[in-house]
Amino acid sequence: MELSNIHLVAGLGFVLALIFGAVANRTNFCTMGAVSDWVNMGLKGRFGAWVLAMGVAVAGAQILELTGTVDISSSIYRTANFGLGGYIVGGLLFGIGMTLGGGCGQRTLVRVGTGNLKSLVVLLVLAIAAYMTLRGILATVRVAAFEPLAIDLSTQGISDQGLASVLAAWTGMELTNTLRWAVGLIVAAILILWALSQSAVRENKDNILAGIVIGLIIVASWVVTGLVGADDFDPVPIEGMSFVAPTGNTLSYLMTYTGATINFGIAIVLGIIAGSFLYAIFTRTFAIETFTDKQDMINHLSGGMLMGFGGVLALGCTVGQAISGISTLALGSFIAAFSIVVGSALTMRVQYHRMDDMSFTRAVGTGVADMLMPWRMKD
Amino acid sequence: MSEFTKELDASGLNCPMPILRAKKALKELSPGEVLRVIATDPGSVKDFEAFAKQTGNELLESVEEGGSFIYRLKKN
Repeated sequence: MELSNIHLVAGLGFVLALIFGAVANRTNFCTMGAVSDWVNMGLKGRFGAWVLAMGVAVAGAQILELTGTVDISSSIYRTANFGLGGYIVGGLLFGIGMTLGGGCGQRTLVRVGTGNLKSLVVLLVLAIAAYMTLRGILATVRVAAFEPLAIDLSTQGISDQGLASVLAAWTGMELTNTLRWAVGLIVAAILILWALSQSAVRENKDNILAGIVIGLIIVASWVVTGLVGADDFDPVPIEGMSFVAPTGNTLSYLMTYTGATINFGIAIVLGIIAGSFLYAIFTRTFAIETFTDKQDMINHLSGGMLMGFGGVLALGCTVGQAISGISTLALGSFIAAFSIVVGSALTMRVQYHRMDDMSFTRAVGTGVADMLMPWRMKD
Repeated sequence: MSEFTKELDASGLNCPMPILRAKKALKELSPGEVLRVIATDPGSVKDFEAFAKQTGNELLESVEEGGSFIYRLKKN
């Protein structure tokens, strides 16, 4: 039997995700942990690993695009449909959800692979909520409440939401390839140099390893879907890695297997779990973890729900928008990533203030004040 | 048994809760006093090492006992 294009793409995606899962497990790569380390201890090592991955992905993806190798502009991130409300609200909800649910979509999959059944519950709820928001009852909310908040940039004479296009439109500059190269180079340089300027990144090899390998895996995803998958008769959608909608699709795929076809997204969800599982077995760190606390279970269920809904609304997660999306230089990806970080940091501050027996409203108020004036935070 | 001033049970909780609770509990101690933390999240091992290094509160002990992780932090 000849391997069809989609099976080849899915197979390569699975291998890439296998490496992602193993490396993420080994290096403790966690975007929620990154926010926690920074907000709760002032440590920027894991945040730097994340930013390094963004920078490496931007550099690689921009080279692929500007040399005409892969048409990244046709991915979902950089369209002219600028869904501002979704980026902000979806991002905030995702950020709150990942803090309550013990980690983002990617981390949840990694932890499922290590035997964490709490994360398995999050995974199932996230998958159902994501699918409900894509096609189910929550899709009505998404369409009614958030589609009106989207701005169609093409009516303003802007072809897409790429930073170079927006910059050209604002300043009246001509959108040339030189401008695109310059913007790509500057953004990649800022991200990489910021990450490497953090002593906590330089002192811990794991952060450098995670940033570089995960950044390169995202670049490889563009190559796999955009170059290997470019078939005249049977092309596949060009995509980076993302873990919200694909998790919903994976659950649907497993339930309707006999009538369903695998795709890149499903393969990477399964690949991350498998990669993390193999690493856990190999290092003898596989251990079953379960809920022991009522509030903890409520938090994880809410977290999965918020990540599924928010992640679809924002068009991606801490990897989908914050690495894959940012690598396309879409303005909305930067807004979504920022909103996720704010949502997560705010939740941690609220949790911290709640320990002082503060009322929920007062804790939220104080948490919002912490976000607006971080320099005034006492602890 | 090792000495400690206050004990915090963060069993069943995962990142960021054990760190958040430890941070809060340490605030209520005086310099030199010791906080003992019990956690079950395997991720807490690296978290408490980083926390101690970053905040200057000394990590006197970090051991695994019957599926739980025990830490003793000395407030600086």
